[in-house]
Amino acid sequence: MDLGITGRSAYVVGRDSGLGRACAGVLAAEGVTLADSPVGCDIVVSHGDRRSPGALLGPDALGDLTAAWDAVVRTVEDYRTGLPGMVSRRWGRLVWIGSARARAMDADDDEIGAVVSLAMMGLHKVVTAEEGAHAVTANAVLRGGSATDEDVAHTVAFLCSTGAGYLSGVTLTVDGGAGSAMF
Amino acid sequence: MDYGLAGRVAVVSGGSRGIGRAIAAALVREGASVVVTARTPASLDETAAALGALAPGRVEAVPADMTDPEQVRRVVDVAREWFGPVGIAVSNVIGHVIDAGKEGSGPGAGTFASMPAGEYRREFDHLLVAAWALADAVIPDMRDQRWGRICNIGSGVAREPATHLPHVLPNAVRPAVAGMYRMLAARLRDDGITVNNLLTGSILTERNRAYWRWLAEDRGSTVEEVTAGFTAGIPLRRFGEPEEMAAVVAFLCSRQAGRITGQSIPVVGGGSAHL
Repeated sequence: MDLGITGRSAYVVGRDSGLGRACAGVLAAEGVTLADSPVGCDIVVSHGDRRSPGALLGPDALGDLTAAWDAVVRTVEDYRTGLPGMVSRRWGRLVWIGSARARAMDADDDEIGAVVSLAMMGLHKVVTAEEGAHAVTANAVLRGGSATDEDVAHTVAFLCSTGAGYLSGVTLTVDGGAGSAMF
Repeated sequence: MDYGLAGRVAVVSGGSRGIGRAIAAALVREGASVVVTARTPASLDETAAALGALAPGRVEAVPADMTDPEQVRRVVDVAREWFGPVGIAVSNVIGHVIDAGKEGSGPGAGTFASMPAGEYRREFDHLLVAAWALADAVIPDMRDQRWGRICNIGSGVAREPATHLPHVLPNAVRPAVAGMYRMLAARLRDDGITVNNLLTGSILTERNRAYWRWLAEDRGSTVEEVTAGFTAGIPLRRFGEPEEMAAVVAFLCSRQAGRITGQSIPVVGGGSAHL
């Protein structure tokens, strides 16, 4: 499948290691140029730190939650930096990679990752409503089960593709079927 | 129906006006002792006096900024000293207003393109930290009693972001608050503690009236036109009363509602598209 993004440019958060590197690798293989800043990029891919999963109760909870929120603030900054160019070229892809717990909130692992992802999902609805007319889409990939960095990266690349142009404000869960939520 | 709340101790934040005050009044009428908190001492004292007249000796007021976890802990400590271990907590905190100079400009007003990233940090402090801090402060008392009721007064945008209005901050942060309480519910289900979200936005409060005045000015229309536009989108064709929010909270706090937890309940006159 030709994803139709050869020659596009992308800013991928943390592309030197792990998940960021996997996403950058798949996009590069599709002919996307990787940039060191979101300025002028067609694609912004962001995610939180993959530290140990955070819990909402316990002595470290507020500190962990506050630190995790940094990823939201940073991603908003990156999205907004890339947005004017996307609007002027009438093409843009914003992708957040978060926790599958954001849709199946009964498990007790990575609760903080889920809280942060829910904020990004709400934000994507706003971006979709306000910027969709400029052909800028905003979507989330939610990771769960034992999904690998590569599993996630391929789904991210799909959301960045030309063919995914009618998807915006949605989430794709990559969890190998582990989640129990129907919707 | 006897909700079994006589003798319970409740903390209600944002309790001096509107929805919070109505909730405090409902809990007092059901026999609970209630500590109301708010930032402004004057309106808080007036509310405490009015509620205290309903139930002498069962209402106290503590001025506090509920976005500061230290102050939240102090409120809960004071409630425990006056009345005993806390069994009911209602978090009722609104998002921060960007342009405080404009009366009623609405919480988090702005578009994605216009809103600076740093405002998302302030909104986090207002909505997420406040809701987290109150739950964190009351859970030990509730675990000791093996009984507790925690409610968050949230917004309909938690489940269905209102993208037709430029309020990017609550649209982004309210879903995170609701999810957080949902996950706390799962953690606490073996402790006899329920945690629920109420979702609204269409209640007749002073704040909403000020917001409609601002919106009318912003749109160059009249308040009547603005409110008619809103009610046309509400199946019941009217705004709700604060007492109608309070009625739902009182039920969720009741003995009878002990198996209802982790829910997000829209109190929006039927105006929710979510199944």
